[in-house]
Amino acid sequence: MLWVDKYRPKTLDKVIVHQDVAQNLQKLVSEGDCPHLLFYGPSGSGKKTLIMALLRQIFGPSADKVKVENKVWKVDAGTRTIDVELTTLSSTHHVELNPSDAGFQDRYVVQEIIKEMAKNRPIDAKGKKGFKVLVLNEVDKLSREAQHSLRRTMEKYSASCRLVLCSNSSSKVTEAVRSRCLNVRINAPMEEEIVNVLEFIAKKEGLQSPQGFAARIAEKSNRNLRRAVLTFETCRVQQYPFTNNQAIPPMDWEQYVSEIASDIMKEQSPKRLFEVRGKLYELLTNCIPPEVILKRLLFELLKKLDSELKHEVSNWAAHYEHRMRLGQKAIFHLEAFVAKFMSIYKSFLISTFG
Amino acid sequence: MLKYMRGLKAAGDETESSATKMLAAKQLASSPGTSIAWTQKYRPKAIIGIIGNEMEQIQHWLKNWDEHFLKAASKGKGKIQNDSGAKKAVMLSGMPGIGKTTSAKLVSQWLAFQTIEVNASDIRGKADSKIKEGIGGSTANSIKECVTNEFLSANIGRSHRQKTVLIIDEVDGMSAGDGGGVADLIAVIKISKIPIICICNDRYSQELKSLMNYCLPIDFRKPAKQQMAKRLKQVANAEGIQVSEIALEELADRVDGDMRMALNQLQYTSLAKSQHLLSRSKDEDISPFKAIEKLFDFNAKNLKIDQRIDLSMSDPDLVPLLVQENYLNYKPSSASKDDSDLKRISLIARAADSIADSDLINVQIGRYQQRQLSPAGCISSCIIPASLLHGQRKILEQVCWLDRQNSTMGKNYRNLEDLHIHLLSSGGLASRKSHLGRENLRLDYFTLLGKKLTDPLRVLPKDEAVKNVVDFKDSYSISQEDFDNIVELSKFKGCPTLLDGVRPDVKAALTKAYNQGSKSNVIRSTDLITLPGIKKDFKNSSDTEDTADVEKKLQSDRLCLSWKGFQVNTDWWLEAFAGSGSSNGSDKGSTESSGERGGRGSGAAAKRKR
Repeated sequence: MLWVDKYRPKTLDKVIVHQDVAQNLQKLVSEGDCPHLLFYGPSGSGKKTLIMALLRQIFGPSADKVKVENKVWKVDAGTRTIDVELTTLSSTHHVELNPSDAGFQDRYVVQEIIKEMAKNRPIDAKGKKGFKVLVLNEVDKLSREAQHSLRRTMEKYSASCRLVLCSNSSSKVTEAVRSRCLNVRINAPMEEEIVNVLEFIAKKEGLQSPQGFAARIAEKSNRNLRRAVLTFETCRVQQYPFTNNQAIPPMDWEQYVSEIASDIMKEQSPKRLFEVRGKLYELLTNCIPPEVILKRLLFELLKKLDSELKHEVSNWAAHYEHRMRLGQKAIFHLEAFVAKFMSIYKSFLISTFG
Repeated sequence: MLKYMRGLKAAGDETESSATKMLAAKQLASSPGTSIAWTQKYRPKAIIGIIGNEMEQIQHWLKNWDEHFLKAASKGKGKIQNDSGAKKAVMLSGMPGIGKTTSAKLVSQWLAFQTIEVNASDIRGKADSKIKEGIGGSTANSIKECVTNEFLSANIGRSHRQKTVLIIDEVDGMSAGDGGGVADLIAVIKISKIPIICICNDRYSQELKSLMNYCLPIDFRKPAKQQMAKRLKQVANAEGIQVSEIALEELADRVDGDMRMALNQLQYTSLAKSQHLLSRSKDEDISPFKAIEKLFDFNAKNLKIDQRIDLSMSDPDLVPLLVQENYLNYKPSSASKDDSDLKRISLIARAADSIADSDLINVQIGRYQQRQLSPAGCISSCIIPASLLHGQRKILEQVCWLDRQNSTMGKNYRNLEDLHIHLLSSGGLASRKSHLGRENLRLDYFTLLGKKLTDPLRVLPKDEAVKNVVDFKDSYSISQEDFDNIVELSKFKGCPTLLDGVRPDVKAALTKAYNQGSKSNVIRSTDLITLPGIKKDFKNSSDTEDTADVEKKLQSDRLCLSWKGFQVNTDWWLEAFAGSGSSNGSDKGSTESSGERGGRGSGAAAKRKR
C-alpha cells in the first residue's frame, strides 16, 4: 500500500496536523449530530482525511464499508429526459459524489438526485429516524445554477440529510451556500508540520533519513502534504539509502509546464506560440486540469520575470482564468494568455533594451 | 386528383415530340411573348430533352415492373423483393432544379404510363384506419386509394386501359406536417399494385432512412456547365435575345447546376433588357477551407461585413476551428513594416483574446439557448481575428488538431475515471484504502504510481521485478488496461516514456504473469453495478420490477412509433398468407393472438422479424 494511504489518520484523535480542527469537530459531533459543513482549503491539506475521520466518528466503523456504484440517473427536465451518469461512493450512512462530473448538467444532479437521496431517511437501530450524510466534492466547480438550487435543498431536507461540502476555494462557493454551512478552513500545513509527518513515517518504516532531507521535500512540496508523502516514497523507490544531496524528482507535468515557461521567455514569436499550443494540448490530453496549468505557468513565469511586470501579468492570468471557467474550450484561453504575455513581454524587452 | 389527371392528359398529348431543336421553335411560334415562366415553357417535352442524366435505369425499372411484381404475385409468390433491382419503388434524388420531376414524368409518358402526381401540397399524413379500406375509410388518404384501386391498376385484364404510375414528389418534406407519413408510405409501397416513383433532394436524410430500404436509389447529377450553356443558348435563341456563349456559361457556372434557376435568371434578365447578365450568384456551398482563404486573404479588407459573415457562416462549426488553427500562420499586412514582430504579436494577442471571447459566447448559445448571439459569436470567432491578421500566409507547420484532440482528451478522462474507480474500490467492498479526487490522482499520484510500476522492472532481476509489480498492482486493483493508461497518460511528446529502458522480455513476462496472476482482487469496470436509475420509482420494492418496468416502457415507446407500421404489416401479411401456402401459419397465429391482448412486446418482436 502506498504510504499516503497507509499512514492516513483514521480517527479524529490521531491526526497530526490540524489537531485543533479535529478537536473542534470531535466536540461538534459528540452529540451525534452536526450542521452542514463546508471544508475548504488548498489541495493536499487534509480535507478528505478529516471528513472521513469525521464520518467514522459519527457512524463508527460501518462508515468504512463503502461500495462504488456507477449509476445512470434519468432526470426529468421539463420537456425532455436527461441521462446523467454518475459514480457514487456510498455506505449505509453516507453518499459521496462529484456533482461537477455531470458537466453543465450538474444542476439536475443537485436538483433531483440529491433530493431523492435526501428523501430516503434511514432508520437507525433504535428505530429513531437518523440522518444521512452527503459528501459533495469539488463544490467550487459547480455551476452557479447548481449552487442556487443547492441552497433550498439544504434547508428543506436538513432534518434527514447533512451536507458536507468540500472545495478548494471558498470564493467560488456562493455566499448563500456558505452562510448555510459551518465553514471549516483547512489551511495548508506548515513546512515544519510536513517535516514532522515525514519523520513519523520514516520512523514507522524504519528508514534512515539524513538531516534536512525531509525539510527539502517539504519545501519542494509547496505545502502540499499529500505530495510531500508521495514524493518521499518516490525518493524511496528511486534510491535508498537516502543521500543528503539526492535529487528530488519533480512531478512530470510540472516539469513540462516549466519547459513551456522557459520556451515562452526565450522567444516571443508566432512560431513559438504555435509550438506552445502543441505543448498545451499535450498537457490537456494528459488530463491536467487547465486551471492548474495556468496557475503553474504563471508561477513559473513570475519566477523569471522583472518585478515591474509581475503585477500586470498576474492580472491577466486572473482575467483568463476567470474566463476559462465561464467558457468551455480551455485551450483558447490558455493560448490567449500566452499570446498576451508574449506581447507584453516583447514590448517590455524592446522598450528596455531597444 | 381529377385535376391532376386532366392536366396530365393535356400534357400527354404532345408526348411524341422528339427533337429538341424543334421544340424551341414550336414554343416560340405558339405563344410569342406570353408571360408563362420559361421554366414551364421550356420544360423538356421528351426524354432526349433532359440534359445531364441518363434515363436508362429508370426506364428499365419501369418497363420491367409489371413482370416483376404483378405476374409474380399472380403466380402466388408474392415476395421476391430481395431480388436486387426488383424494388417496388424508385427514389430519385438530387439537388433542386436539375429535372427530377420532369424526368419522372417524361419517362412515364414515354412508356405510356398515366401519371398521378402527389406532392407536398397534398395531405399525406398517416391515415387513421386501415389502408385496405381505401376511400371508404374515415380519413383514408388519396395515395392509398390510388395504389389499391383495382380500376387504376393494369393487371385485371383490361389491357386497353392505360397503365398508371404514382409519382410522389418532395418526399423529404413529408416528415414535417404529415406525421407518420414515411411509415405509411412504406406500407403503401408494400401493397402497391402500381409502380411508385419517389422524389427527394437528399436521400441520406434521417427521415428517409427507413424508406430507402424499399426503394431503388437513383441519383441525379448536376448537368455539366457546357451542356447547360448549350441549352440556355437554345432558349435564348428561341426567345430572340442576344447573349454571348461566355455569359451563358458564366450563368451556368453560378447557378451551380440548377437549371430551373438558370432559366429564371435568364428570363429575368431578358425582361430587364440589359446585357448585364446577373446580379448575384446562387448561394453556393463554400468549403470552409476556401472561406478561411478568403477571410485571411491579402485583399480581405475589401470584403464587406455581410460577405464576411456569409463566409464564416458557411460552416459555423468548422470555420471558427480552422480560424483558431490557422491564425498564427499569417503575416498581417497591417504589420508588414516592423521587423521585430512586435506589432504582429500584439495583434495575435488581440485575436486570441477575441477567439476566447467567442468561446464564452458559444457557451451562452449552447447552454442557455441565446441564439441571437450567434452573429456576435461569428464576428468574434472569425471576423475579428481575420481582419486583424489577414495578409500573407506563412506556413509554419500543418498540424490538424481541431476536435480530434478533444476526443483524445475525452477518452483519456474516461480512462482516468476508470482507474480512479478501481483505486477507490481497491480491497473490495470491505475497506477503503484511499480516497482521493480524480484530479489529484493525476497531479500527485501519477509520478509515484509510474515509478512503483516501472522502476522495479528496470532495476531488479526479471522474476523478482515482475512479482513486485504484480503485487502492487493487485493491492490497488490496477488492471493491465489501467497500467497501459497510466503509461499513456504520463507520456509527453519529446520526453522519455515510463516504459523506456524496460527490456522487452521483462515486459512480456509481466503481461504473462499478470494474465495468470491473482485476478480475484481486481475489479473491472464491467463488474461495477450499473443500474438504470429511476427517478420517481423509489418506492418500488424490488430491482427486478424496476428494470422490467423500464423495459416495458421502452418497448411501448418503440411500439408507438411503429404501431401503425406494424398494424399495416399484419394486414398485408394476412393477405399474403391467404394467397400463399401455409408456411407463414405459425407466425400469423402468434401475431394475431398477441395483437389483441396487449402483448405488445411480442408484436414488436414479430415486426422486427420481418
